[in-house]
Amino acid sequence: MTPAEEKIRTVLTPFARSPIPDDVDASLFELGVLDSFGLMDAVARLEEAFGVKVPDADLTPRRFETLARIEAYFTARAA
Amino acid sequence: MAHLAGLGHALPERVVPSTELAERLGVTEEWILGACGIRERRWISEGDTAASLAERAAQAALARAHLTPSQLGAIIVGTGSAPRAFPGVSAALQKLLDAPGIPAFDVPLASVGGLFALALAVDLSPRTGPVLAVGAEEMSRVLLRAPLAKETAILFGDGAAACVVAPGDGPIAVVDVRLGSDGTFADALSLGPAGPLVMDGRTVILQASRKLPAAIRSVLEPQGLSPADVDLFVLHQANLNLLRGVARSLGVGEEKLFVNVDRVGNTSAASVLVALSEASEQGLLRPGARVVLAAFGAGFSWGAALLRVAG
Repeated sequence: MTPAEEKIRTVLTPFARSPIPDDVDASLFELGVLDSFGLMDAVARLEEAFGVKVPDADLTPRRFETLARIEAYFTARAA
Repeated sequence: MAHLAGLGHALPERVVPSTELAERLGVTEEWILGACGIRERRWISEGDTAASLAERAAQAALARAHLTPSQLGAIIVGTGSAPRAFPGVSAALQKLLDAPGIPAFDVPLASVGGLFALALAVDLSPRTGPVLAVGAEEMSRVLLRAPLAKETAILFGDGAAACVVAPGDGPIAVVDVRLGSDGTFADALSLGPAGPLVMDGRTVILQASRKLPAAIRSVLEPQGLSPADVDLFVLHQANLNLLRGVARSLGVGEEKLFVNVDRVGNTSAASVLVALSEASEQGLLRPGARVVLAAFGAGFSWGAALLRVAG
């Protein structure tokens, strides 16, 4: 597990409505891990954790649907 | 700029509790409450329409403004659920009010329609005289269309509200209004002629949770104000969870939020004006109070208005 993935799992834990999957490509929505409002709060906490402001144009659910996508997005933005 | 001279609202008599809807949709009341915080909403019965609700709301607002329909300079109706594409609810309302000759038109932007109507009225009223800004919806007519989506069917209620916007100073001054739209998200919230209502809930919530606080700050900052300086936030009553999220984002306590979504549901274009009218009836627009309105709807479109109650 990368440090970024570990950070993401820590951030998501308070908002998770079911266990966060080991599979980084699994849909957090289909598994019921994040609902709409959990996603809203999680994105705000991820911004703080990575020191990144997500532009409005990037605020689409697909970008945050899996652990892999979240990691790819925030590590790219933080770079 | 302009002021609000009179407010009124009208809700259908039929109460639809979440227990009734839960049975119909195959979910539990607890699931509905957790998803949106709505305990009950009002749905129109046979014979009522968005226009008939709008007429009742308009007559109440006109009475409070000490005006008659013949003294209006324009009628603007925010609505998205009317059965006829054109002419819209504004034409039906104009006929019911017997106020021919003045311009009457609809603003079809769903939940932000009432706020856009008010904003347009603010700009128009110095030229035409008092403008009737209305939000009116019969969402129950569209939300149970197949294919039924329980996530949206639980949200909406019917209702109407009206506001007489008059030029110059008055008891409730409109200090500033800011509006915005982004057609990139047009497909995320839409309603075609035969439905069903299409709502990508996650996208709506993500964007609304960002745009609403930004819109609110955009009307406050030019006045040298912050959210802490606001006495009452009257927001589009979309969903209790969203209202709480906006309060957290603004760094204000939930006691500053006006909330009626638990009793009337999301009445879309009517929502923010119904909430403002109820807040007024409850004596919450206190002398000297700064009040912020904000809404988010189809387009996406969004906006905020800063009001100041005379001291």
